[in-house]
Amino acid sequence: MTSRVDIAITVNRRLYRLSVPPNRVVADLLREDLMLTGCKIGCDQAVCGACTVLVDGLPATACTTFAFELDGTALTTIEGLSEGGALHPIQRAFLEHSGFQCGFCTPGMILSVKALLDHHRDPDEMTIRQWLGANICRCTGYQMIVEAVRAAAQAMAG
Amino acid sequence: MMDGTAGDSPFRSPVIALDGPDKVTGAARYTFDVTLPGMVHAKVLRSPHPHARIVAIDASRAEALPGVVAVVTGADAIKLPDPYYGVAIRDQPVVGIDKVRYVGDMVAAVAALDEETAYRALALIDVRYDPLLPVTTIDEALAEDAPLLFDAPVAGEPIKLGDGVTSLKEPRPNVLCEFAYTNGDADTVLARSDHLFEDRFRFSRINHFHLEPHVNVARVTGAQIELWSCNQDPFVLRGDIARIFGRPANNIRIHASYVGGGFGGKSFCKMEPLVVLLAMKAGRPVRLCLSLDESLLTLTKHAGILMLKTGVTKDGRLTARKSEIQLDGGAYSDASALTVVKTGYRITGPYRWDAVATRAYAVRTNTVPAGSFRGFGGTQAAFASESQIDMIARRLGIDPYDFRRKNLLAVGEPFQPGDSGIDSDLGSGLDEVVERLGYRQRVRGPVQGHMARGMGLSVGIKDGGGTGNHAQALVKLLPSGRAIVSAAAVEIGQGATTTLSRIAAETLQLPLDWVRYGAIDTDHTPLDNGTHASCGTVVTGIAVMRAATDARDQLLQFAAEQLGCKADELQLDNWTVRRGNFAHPLEPMIVEHFGGAGFEFIGRGMVKVPNNPKAPLSAASLFWMPCWVGAEVEVDRETGKMRVVHLVVGADSGRSVNAVACRGQVEGAALQALGQSLFEELRYEGGEPANATPLKYRVPLAGDLPDCYESFILEHGGPGPFGAKGIGEAGMLGVASAIANAIHDAVGARLAEIPFTPERVLAAIEAM
Repeated sequence: MTSRVDIAITVNRRLYRLSVPPNRVVADLLREDLMLTGCKIGCDQAVCGACTVLVDGLPATACTTFAFELDGTALTTIEGLSEGGALHPIQRAFLEHSGFQCGFCTPGMILSVKALLDHHRDPDEMTIRQWLGANICRCTGYQMIVEAVRAAAQAMAG
Repeated sequence: MMDGTAGDSPFRSPVIALDGPDKVTGAARYTFDVTLPGMVHAKVLRSPHPHARIVAIDASRAEALPGVVAVVTGADAIKLPDPYYGVAIRDQPVVGIDKVRYVGDMVAAVAALDEETAYRALALIDVRYDPLLPVTTIDEALAEDAPLLFDAPVAGEPIKLGDGVTSLKEPRPNVLCEFAYTNGDADTVLARSDHLFEDRFRFSRINHFHLEPHVNVARVTGAQIELWSCNQDPFVLRGDIARIFGRPANNIRIHASYVGGGFGGKSFCKMEPLVVLLAMKAGRPVRLCLSLDESLLTLTKHAGILMLKTGVTKDGRLTARKSEIQLDGGAYSDASALTVVKTGYRITGPYRWDAVATRAYAVRTNTVPAGSFRGFGGTQAAFASESQIDMIARRLGIDPYDFRRKNLLAVGEPFQPGDSGIDSDLGSGLDEVVERLGYRQRVRGPVQGHMARGMGLSVGIKDGGGTGNHAQALVKLLPSGRAIVSAAAVEIGQGATTTLSRIAAETLQLPLDWVRYGAIDTDHTPLDNGTHASCGTVVTGIAVMRAATDARDQLLQFAAEQLGCKADELQLDNWTVRRGNFAHPLEPMIVEHFGGAGFEFIGRGMVKVPNNPKAPLSAASLFWMPCWVGAEVEVDRETGKMRVVHLVVGADSGRSVNAVACRGQVEGAALQALGQSLFEELRYEGGEPANATPLKYRVPLAGDLPDCYESFILEHGGPGPFGAKGIGEAGMLGVASAIANAIHDAVGARLAEIPFTPERVLAAIEAM
């Protein structure tokens, strides 16, 4: 494919002007062009949620989103969640409550939780379980993730 | 046995996982993230036929496509010194040689400058097949005059075992291997029993569904083969690559990184030699990352049919059990030989018997190969055994709790003659479940409208730590007191990094965050038998503890020489040595004596679990892994829809070195088992996989959690460091049977086949 599309996207608070092939997906753009390898590809078909990133604050699957679709938007990846070297309260809660095992789903999971807590400051158990339905974790059995989300909500409220 | 409730454990304080900061920030590097200069990308052409002869392959158009670097087919594989792999029995070709044996079997592979070109090239490979009749079920494969998957005996040996055991390779057509175990005269004992019960159970096929797909990067430089692999068993893989390519193993170098989930799916040799072969032909590094669809076609857990004949006295004492177990091994051996042994051996459950006779075998079918899956036959055995125990109790009008209590093995009683004694108080775990579940006060049967409720119990058990296992480890102490633990238990999410580091830190009296778990590289890391069988904490753990002890002894000897005293006068504490009331910092002592770049004290440790031909499995089991489960279900008798309202799962960690990781292992395993019990299954329609894609293959989501989901860990002591034992596979064992038993409690109908779909539940209710 020889044609290219010029786009301007903000990734983790930094503006990039890029020329991308029309079939370039966001996951490859992040991983191969910007070396942001925290974006993991599991199923590559928008089922597992491992590649979840935030586009203007909303979760999107990077594996099935074309780069050109994001022209003019602001992206947040796991690498952009912590500021000035300090962990985001959600990252800290996952760390302290062991909301991960192999860690492959964790970046996408944490970004989904970020979107959840931006929309519901104090979600109940059922809301958390339903929201996490967009992200598969094969290791933890989810309960410790749910506990991490509750702890993060508390930390962010306090 | 130790009293786990005593508050003297050094491991009570919660721990932050050492791999945690990398994993919550996206910094963790997996094999998935490995790239090498000049690396090209591979894709695999897979068979559309369940069973066919490969008549001819024309890859010329693919080879001519610009951007294609190499194409590999069976014609390349056949030239290898030994193009077949498999555990004990080696029947799987590096790439299809004469036949394909399942839909998804590897036929050819392409390496190209990018994945897109590799995919295009696959479409240009012309394969002529001569389709053969497939056998896609156990019954079809065992039928008289069934088509054969293999025309001649394949390479390899049966698994070597101990007393009372027969182990055979390819004993009958389409049978890969057979395990038979007898203790006493089961037929006579059964004939004399007051009651005799015969039941049959069917177990389903599921996939591991690890989110990091199988991924390998190979580089061949002169005589050296280097592989960055997601494999759980770097040293086992090194041996396979050496044998297949006919090179000395010291020219094979395997690098392991963080593994994005495995559960057995990344154990033993699979597509790795194909990637090496491509790299050889391409003359540059090759990366093969399967899609998750392809991982679904790479390995499954064994489906099976389990037939049990069990005798009981009139006062409810178990007498003898005779079993015949047929496991669906799929098209190739993989780890079937081991799984057959473990399923057959574990079928008697945690009970006392006068006599036992077991026959288990793996049947070849034209379906995805089956192999290791968290618990290695333990879940199959526990489902059948604990279902039947419950059925027998209900038939005899005995409460299933009381029936289990009466027959459970006591602490110290051997599982079978010649094996080790049970090292866990099985009754206390069952009592804990009963208490937490509210089993004694339960509401049974109809609750409102057509809904019914019931509770079920289960006690699963398996031997842990592998059989006659071994491991080696190194601990390096830097002049600053910072340490590197070097061992080849792969961090797969189970917490090996933190657990093994904590064992070293505790032995050396160092802060945990002063210890780092070193990168795994078979050139430098001491040998390990593989990340299997819940062995990391105990087997690798003992090797690490001994290595740390060795390093400490060397260090104290050095300090004693510097201080002019005896080593046993000194105590180590936070990188100082204490002698009486005086503390001497170690760093200046080491720097001053050695000068230069300082010095590293390097401790070595190893462990070998003794072989013993008198033990049925050829070594006494290292420890026992119980799994206590209680489930409460609500069943809709009109629709068959069933919901797990409350699930309690418990296991015995011996003593938790990393309590939070133990909990995570139990809960994670139990949810996998819950998914398999309720809906998860890799289904076939004839020879075609019906749902081998992530969109159609349903795994548990957070919304599938039972309303109330509880886990608990008992600490009854074990043979590992500080009394630990392994726990990783335990949580999977008893879940399916506890749910089946709860359904029975609720509606009086028995589900003898998983998953318990609404259709099956309804059919079981209607059949009453």
